[in-house]
Amino acid sequence: MQPEVAIEHVLGLARQNGLAEVDVLVERGESLGLKIRDAKVEKVDQSTSLGLGVRVLLDGRTGLAYTERLEASALRRVLDEALENAELQDQLEVNLPDPANNVSTAEALQLYNSELEQLSFEELAEVGLEIEATAKQTDQRVVTLPYLGVSRESGEWILGTSKGAYYRQRANSATTYCGALLQEGESRKTGFWFWQMRDWNRAEAAAIGPKAVKEGTSLLGARSIQNCKMPVILDEYCAPQLLGMFFRAFHADAAQKGTSRLAGRLGEKIAGKNVTLYDDPHIPGARGSSLLDSEGVLTQKLSLVDQGVFQNFLYHIESASKEQRTSTGHARRGYNSGIGTGSHNLVMEKGSFSLEELCQQPERALLVTSLEGAAGCNSISGDISIGVQGFLLEKGERVQPVDSITIAGNFFDLLSQIQGLGNCYQPYLSKIFVPPMLLDGLAISG
Amino acid sequence: MLADQTIAKVLEQGLHQGADFAEVFIEDSISRSLDLLDRKIDQINSGNSYGIGIRLLFGHESCYGYSCDPDPAGLLQLTENLARSKRREGRVTPKDLRRVPVNDQHRIRLSPEKVGKLDRVELLRRLDELTRSHGEPIRQVSASIVEKKRSMLIANSEGLFREDSRQYMRVRLSAIADTGDGPQGGAVSPGVLGGYEFLEEVDLEKLAREAAETALRMAGAGYVDGGVMPVVMGNGFGGVIFHEACGHPLETEAIRKNASSFTGKLGQSIASPVLTAVDDGTITNAWGSLNIDDEGNEAQRTVLIKDGVLQQYLSDRVGAAQVGVPQTGSSRRESYKYAPVSRMRNTYIDKGPDKIEDIIRSVDHGLYAKKLGGGSVDPGTGEFNFAVQEGYIIRKGKVAEPVRGATLIGKGYEVLPKISMIADDLELAAGICGASSGMVPTTVGQPTLKIDSILVGGR
Repeated sequence: MQPEVAIEHVLGLARQNGLAEVDVLVERGESLGLKIRDAKVEKVDQSTSLGLGVRVLLDGRTGLAYTERLEASALRRVLDEALENAELQDQLEVNLPDPANNVSTAEALQLYNSELEQLSFEELAEVGLEIEATAKQTDQRVVTLPYLGVSRESGEWILGTSKGAYYRQRANSATTYCGALLQEGESRKTGFWFWQMRDWNRAEAAAIGPKAVKEGTSLLGARSIQNCKMPVILDEYCAPQLLGMFFRAFHADAAQKGTSRLAGRLGEKIAGKNVTLYDDPHIPGARGSSLLDSEGVLTQKLSLVDQGVFQNFLYHIESASKEQRTSTGHARRGYNSGIGTGSHNLVMEKGSFSLEELCQQPERALLVTSLEGAAGCNSISGDISIGVQGFLLEKGERVQPVDSITIAGNFFDLLSQIQGLGNCYQPYLSKIFVPPMLLDGLAISG
Repeated sequence: MLADQTIAKVLEQGLHQGADFAEVFIEDSISRSLDLLDRKIDQINSGNSYGIGIRLLFGHESCYGYSCDPDPAGLLQLTENLARSKRREGRVTPKDLRRVPVNDQHRIRLSPEKVGKLDRVELLRRLDELTRSHGEPIRQVSASIVEKKRSMLIANSEGLFREDSRQYMRVRLSAIADTGDGPQGGAVSPGVLGGYEFLEEVDLEKLAREAAETALRMAGAGYVDGGVMPVVMGNGFGGVIFHEACGHPLETEAIRKNASSFTGKLGQSIASPVLTAVDDGTITNAWGSLNIDDEGNEAQRTVLIKDGVLQQYLSDRVGAAQVGVPQTGSSRRESYKYAPVSRMRNTYIDKGPDKIEDIIRSVDHGLYAKKLGGGSVDPGTGEFNFAVQEGYIIRKGKVAEPVRGATLIGKGYEVLPKISMIADDLELAAGICGASSGMVPTTVGQPTLKIDSILVGGR
């Protein structure tokens, strides 16, 4: 059964069963990916995936179920399962919204470029081979290129509800990535670079090999430094990662359940005056853009922090109903997952300094270009204790590559310790836009 | 799950396109999860995953595709598309499929299907109550039951045809405590390759106590002062460091790309002579066990390191052929959406001669990392990082005050020779491991052990 037909089929079954509130979400994906090694296409991955998730609301109780089979018998079963699950759940006071009026078409968000679908296997292979060849030529210290791939991927989601809402949105992108292992003496480093866009630019896509190698070679010979406190600069790739690790504190359901340090602090100063943060679901082309959220609620631009003052939490229907207010359109759900909260495109307003200017501000500083895993970051307490790599700076000059160190502090304290913000965002497809930042107050262990 | 005839046709089509080897992997899975949060049954989800993965090998090069549509014409078309870049004249025909039954080593005593969901709901409420009973500072509890039954069929052009199913049961519990200076968490999450009997036999009071005590102790703790120091690693989940820092680089998936610090080191001493490490896929009902791996081979017990000397890599079909080592029955994938590669199963450092008291007593000033959180590794460089979930300062041979915010940083090949003492209290713990073939259930484990020096990140 086609997804559109399957959605109608489930909603029809729901009507026959007298179920007034049901929504059905279908996700469909297609991808073609190539991995390159030793001047050959070593692996080809080609896939089509499809899944359908049902949510039944019964007297304020929610039941979920999903299937990857779109046959009539499987659809019957998935509805029955969802109903059975709803009966066991505690009451959460969730009601489906009426269909949003005047929803313009998702095309305006520019998330889909049909030209990408024409990108042939041969062209992807050529680009991959070019990345490998140029990366190897860049530097003799390249041991191997263990991670080198080229792909195009597209996805679509369709939401239909028993209240008559129907929305579909599709997106696609092309990606190249290259990880290079470098060695000089005893020192081994991995350099990584990627390119991901919706407008195919062959030259840019193919140019990442030397960039990956350069990332790795610049860190060869890295050493630890002594325990100290010094200013830390996170580049435009690391800064959004750090915000991403702690952002759930802005989710209303986290605050309601006692797992957000921001609970009860609306209207208070939680960050420096230089911090303005908002969620914008309507940025053309951005990865998180969407006109409706996955419960069918209209999305809106939402101020989160305005010049340091905490403005809003993110809500979905359930967390909103607990506070007798309306959802802000931040429900997130996959066909096989439960309902959660999520931002669309998080934006921290830029500052005025280039990365170089930020680096020159302190006499001595640590420029962090790589965060090693998120395990040492506790999103509930805000504690940061994380391995990093980067460069020791003196008067803005990189005097030594650094590894085997950790930085430690607390994210919620750091928000008030941002000494300067850069004037750029990382250039590739993204849904978190945070400029480079100069931070004070982090402890360095080495 | 799919007509034998269709499977045979796909394999034939693969070889007809010039592949040296063709494989069909069909999966039909039933999953169920029940979550309790904030004293409420928060979400119940259940579902069915179904799909067909097709793999063609041209020498060491591989093409993998999948679909959830069982239509034979579509699958034949997918096979043809996969071979597009490699197509050459087909030289061989597949061998006739021969069904070889799987000997089930991991019996289920109580099928989860026979137990109503209400029993699970009651179990979660009981866990919530038990955890909260550890005191008012326990501010929040979340608990869930996650279960999955994976039924699969593996057939290949060498005539292999095997069907198996794996039933997984797991319970997760996390507690959050706050004594005034910020919330801190504690968590436990045991699991088995087995049936509902696991939930009937698991000691709920012990789980609640463990999660609550970690949260309570960390809530009152100060921050650790960072630096290089001796570290005593607790048993059980402490084995995650070996898993990340040494296990992954011992998979042929890393070795074959020359992206491992252990490439070319078979037969060489790579660790302290007190250390023996094993990856065993055959432990009865263990979370990371298998009857057969995802290429259809019998699971094995593989000794990785014996008395400090590297014995074997973990391999899959392509990795074994490329590196020139035997297959170890450790080819795994999350689902039909992934091509299988060499992965760990139940990996542990074997018990040693020492006693935990003697190990602690041998440290003048250091860290006792009683419980570890997650972490990650770069197999090429061996660089790893881990969070310590529950840590204590060791002062003059005694466990002293609890500390929070500790992270362990190092390189696998540098740490292995620094393991100087290993206790006799081997314990295993369930985890989920993510790598190129997706998220798979793996067990980590170790006895309490001492690393003479390692960087502890702190404040």
